[in-house]
Amino acid sequence: MSEIILEAKGICKSFSGVKVLKSVNFSVRKGEVHALMGENGAGKSTLIKILTGAYTKDSGTIEWKGKPVEINSLGDCQKLGMSCIYQELSVIPALTVSQNVFLGREPRTLGIIDHAKMRTMTRELIERYGFPLDPDARVSDLGIGVRQMVEILKGLSCKAEVLIMDEPTASLSGKEAETLFSIIERLREQGVSVIYISHRLEEVYRLADRLTILRDGENEAVLDHDQIDPRKVISLMIGKEIDESAGTVNTMHTPTGDVLLHVERLSNLSSFHDVSFDIHRGEIVGFGGLIGAGRTEIMRAIFGIDSFTSGSITFDGKPFRSTPKKSIRAGIGFVPEDRRGQGFIPLLSTTRNVALTNYDIIGKKGLAIDEKEELAMSRRAIEKMDVRPSDPGKQVGLMSGGNQQKVVVGKWLMRDLKLLIVDEPTAGIDVGAKDEIYGILEDLAHQGVAVILVSSDLQELIRVSHRILVMRKGSIVREFNNGSVTQSMVLEAASGLQA
Amino acid sequence: MKKLNLSRLTKPLILVLCFAALTILRPKAFPTVSNLSNVLWSISVYGIMTSGTIFVFLVGGIDLSIGSLCGLTGVACVMTIQALGRTNFAVVMGILAAIAVGALAGLFHGLTVTRFRVPAFLITFATSTAYLGLSMLLTNNKIISCTEPALFTGISNYKLVGFPVPVYLMIVVALMSWFILSKTSLGRSFYAVGGNAPASRLSGINDTGVTMLAYVFSGITTAIGGIVLASMTQQCKAMNGSGYENYVIMSAVIGGVSLLGGVGTVPGCIFGAVLIGLLNNGLNLMSVPATEHDLVKGLVIIAAMAFDAAQHQDSARKSLTKLPWLKKKGM
Repeated sequence: MSEIILEAKGICKSFSGVKVLKSVNFSVRKGEVHALMGENGAGKSTLIKILTGAYTKDSGTIEWKGKPVEINSLGDCQKLGMSCIYQELSVIPALTVSQNVFLGREPRTLGIIDHAKMRTMTRELIERYGFPLDPDARVSDLGIGVRQMVEILKGLSCKAEVLIMDEPTASLSGKEAETLFSIIERLREQGVSVIYISHRLEEVYRLADRLTILRDGENEAVLDHDQIDPRKVISLMIGKEIDESAGTVNTMHTPTGDVLLHVERLSNLSSFHDVSFDIHRGEIVGFGGLIGAGRTEIMRAIFGIDSFTSGSITFDGKPFRSTPKKSIRAGIGFVPEDRRGQGFIPLLSTTRNVALTNYDIIGKKGLAIDEKEELAMSRRAIEKMDVRPSDPGKQVGLMSGGNQQKVVVGKWLMRDLKLLIVDEPTAGIDVGAKDEIYGILEDLAHQGVAVILVSSDLQELIRVSHRILVMRKGSIVREFNNGSVTQSMVLEAASGLQA
Repeated sequence: MKKLNLSRLTKPLILVLCFAALTILRPKAFPTVSNLSNVLWSISVYGIMTSGTIFVFLVGGIDLSIGSLCGLTGVACVMTIQALGRTNFAVVMGILAAIAVGALAGLFHGLTVTRFRVPAFLITFATSTAYLGLSMLLTNNKIISCTEPALFTGISNYKLVGFPVPVYLMIVVALMSWFILSKTSLGRSFYAVGGNAPASRLSGINDTGVTMLAYVFSGITTAIGGIVLASMTQQCKAMNGSGYENYVIMSAVIGGVSLLGGVGTVPGCIFGAVLIGLLNNGLNLMSVPATEHDLVKGLVIIAAMAFDAAQHQDSARKSLTKLPWLKKKGM
């Protein structure tokens, strides 16, 4: 058993009184791939941010090669020999591979950058770890997977002994992921340790020497490779007692209403293939799955934002090939996943944001908008959604996340809706606002509106949905339409473990 | 709410202060109908142009070609009038020709920006040179004078109740674009597209169409400006409108238009134009040597913008994250 290179003991961290990490222990041995898993909000990213100096811990100690250290900045972390590969890649497209790898630390001769030496040094690194890379390639010509390798190489060039990878395969194709895995294995042989954060069980199962599971800010378990059993991991992440307690088990139903939306063998080039399903009036259908399973992409295709290559959509009895405008007129509402980027116009007021999709139903005075009617609609939306502040002139960009989302949802309630598609509707919003949004979705279903809920929050998915479809790698792999469903059942289906 | 009211009052307050200062400094020369009519006459060309270019600013674009296009549309107007024999009919055709040229130029900008994804800064910078060159080619780089018919010269010097026609034209164009922007759903969509294009697309707004329309509006008002300028000078030449893009951008920025898109009003733009006009007028009345005018103007504009930035510090900082080159691609 090799020496422990990094050890964190009894790490605690609170944010405004809420304990996020409760005395967490975490240790990494030299040359091991150590996976870190846990549900959203389990404390993984907080722990990593403490290790990389982005947050300061409230208490606890961190030891590097047996000596206590303080990590207060990313610089400290790099000096020790840790490097973090970010999900949002920080390579510079206009530079070559070697220029990126040695950015800011270029080898110099007489004060002038020695390009030949830089290339040689890059080539040495590439050969040592077996990267399929050309030191002179321009990064802008490279795919996302290869860019990630440049980033890894950059970390290694700083003599990093521990590499932190946060969901590294999230935006990679299958082939790119394979290449990454072989590089990780090569790194391990060379004695580099990797902290590997992922939701994907099969990757962890394949790569990890050890696995630490966090749940609700506590160490749930540390498992060696031969103890890693996918089902056990899921139950440890979710917690048996929670899984069976009230509110997290729900009974699913077979739909009784008429079919409103019929999707038949829908495919696009990359993210989903041969997907078929029906949505009935008055039901809330949950779409579960891991990030990148193709759920968002299908919803965008149905709403008419993105195109699809084959298959058909029938809405309200008629064939449907849409644009957002046509979808809106036909009675479909869409609440996008990326609220800040796509949901609302931050500089405009609540009134203008609510009116944005509804000018066809707001009256006119000659050519001008009936501003009284516009304002009345905005007040109705504010009242219905309990938006705070209730001032219709307030810029939406200055509100809290929960209230922003209420504005985004509220504008759809002003229309005659038949179908509302909501994608991660409660991501990053407070508990009170969450409950209010669930209430709205349930009300809509009572009125006969069909609701599609795409959510990675298992608790929410199970609590709100009448029926759940689980997607994995672009296909629907499981439908829960009767009996009771638990979080483990959904997660197992999403991870490819068939019951 | 408090802050909003305060910043709403700043602009009229600044105008009142300028007025008061100039009245005190030059009590005989400044507050006369003929002087004020002069000030308005002098700003009318870029006042008209700003009222259309604001659409481009609102969708987060920029149009640097308007100075050259102002010259080119003037050339189109005058040369049509000359070719058709200086009749009143020729004047009408000249006006239509200028507007057609402006609209086509705008359409071209809109197409390159939306379909071919060329940054607005680059394409309008390039066409600016091209339009200047085209005007030179058409006029053989000579001044073509045009002193008749009276319908043409009257566009700029005919007076109604003490004020010349261009002042009324400015008011009409400004009112029209104010009406579109603040009273119609089309107008609202310019703010939406500039504020968050992906979100407006999801709201069923045709953001490509809206952006194209913005450039077309800019081209048309530039053409109106070009016609007025040609009439004022009773001639056309390639360099006629050179530098007007600076006045337009200054008026807009002083008037609170954000070059990042999504923020700005027509009254603000007109305020900016009037302020520049008062400044020019004040410098003349106080016999400041012409060689010092530009320096003083530059300093005053820097001061105005610093004042504005200090007032909106929070939102300015926030909007920095919206710079087009920091935006994530796609939606």
